Amino acid sequence: MKKTTLIIALAMVGSALFAQKKTTTSGTINFDATTSLDALPKAENKTVVAALDAKTGAIAFEAIMKSFSFANPMMQEHFNSDKWLDSDKFPTSTFKGKITNFSAVNLKKDGTYPAEVSGDLTIHGITKPVTTTGTVIVNGKTIATTAAFTVKLEDYGITGKSIEAGKVIREPKITIAANF
Amino acid sequence: MSNSKLRMKKILIATVISAVFIGIAVWFLFAQKFEDTKREKSVYTINALDLIKEFQQNDSIANKKYAEKIMTVIGIVTEVESADITVNIKMGDTTNGSYVIFAFQQQNVNDSKTIKEGDKVSIKGSCSGGAYSKILETEFITFKRCALNK
Repeated sequence: MKKTTLIIALAMVGSALFAQKKTTTSGTINFDATTSLDALPKAENKTVVAALDAKTGAIAFEAIMKSFSFANPMMQEHFNSDKWLDSDKFPTSTFKGKITNFSAVNLKKDGTYPAEVSGDLTIHGITKPVTTTGTVIVNGKTIATTAAFTVKLEDYGITGKSIEAGKVIREPKITIAANF
Repeated sequence: MSNSKLRMKKILIATVISAVFIGIAVWFLFAQKFEDTKREKSVYTINALDLIKEFQQNDSIANKKYAEKIMTVIGIVTEVESADITVNIKMGDTTNGSYVIFAFQQQNVNDSKTIKEGDKVSIKGSCSGGAYSKILETEFITFKRCALNK
């Protein structure tokens, strides 16, 4: 009897822990490096893996670099080439961090909550700390998260003539969104 | 007209013609857009579970073989997942959680909305490659610019 109770209790704890980690495989990342000289360096990745720990506010993203879809074939080729993101050598980019004011977000109450996010962003094999603001929208059982920030391409070892010529902005805007 | 003036005129005309051709070529490259995937030819046609197995065995080799290739993947839809205002279609291996996911091309998005979980479908798209997800602890393979084969 005691053994059965223990197994049930462990199963309940296990399922509660599992429920805390919410995931999606259809998160989105928009990359916008356009300038007044060139409107082409702009892409979207709609198959980003994302996770949110509903207890701690820990968040994580994983994106396959070749999943960024450009309108222009030449631009997509440049983006993945060894002169830029070198996607064959560094096939994924990741973010691991936390909503630092997560205690102010009530996942049991519908509403829009401002979020402060900080963590480590890895692009092109280089990891740098990132701090930004975002939004958590609670609507019934759905939690929608968004955050936008800029990255210095130079910090991630990405340089080139297009940047020097002003055709690609030095600090592209990255917008991340995930619905859990 | 002297010979030198005639020569100069010929050089000028040749330069202008070359500049026009280079301009057209550059304009073409910048104005070019991806074809509608429906009109593209598949390099490979494969069953979803076989594709997952191939990536699980060695994703470096599978990436070299399939990444950026137009492929047709046939399988049972295990999930229809919202991605902003559109939906992505997933075909997964229920025994280990690994999956293939398809993001549809703008002009073919409406087709994705007709697909339901459990449907057997054939989807054509550009393979973006696969990787092991440390978040999900499974292999995932992604496709972009997809279209439903009817």
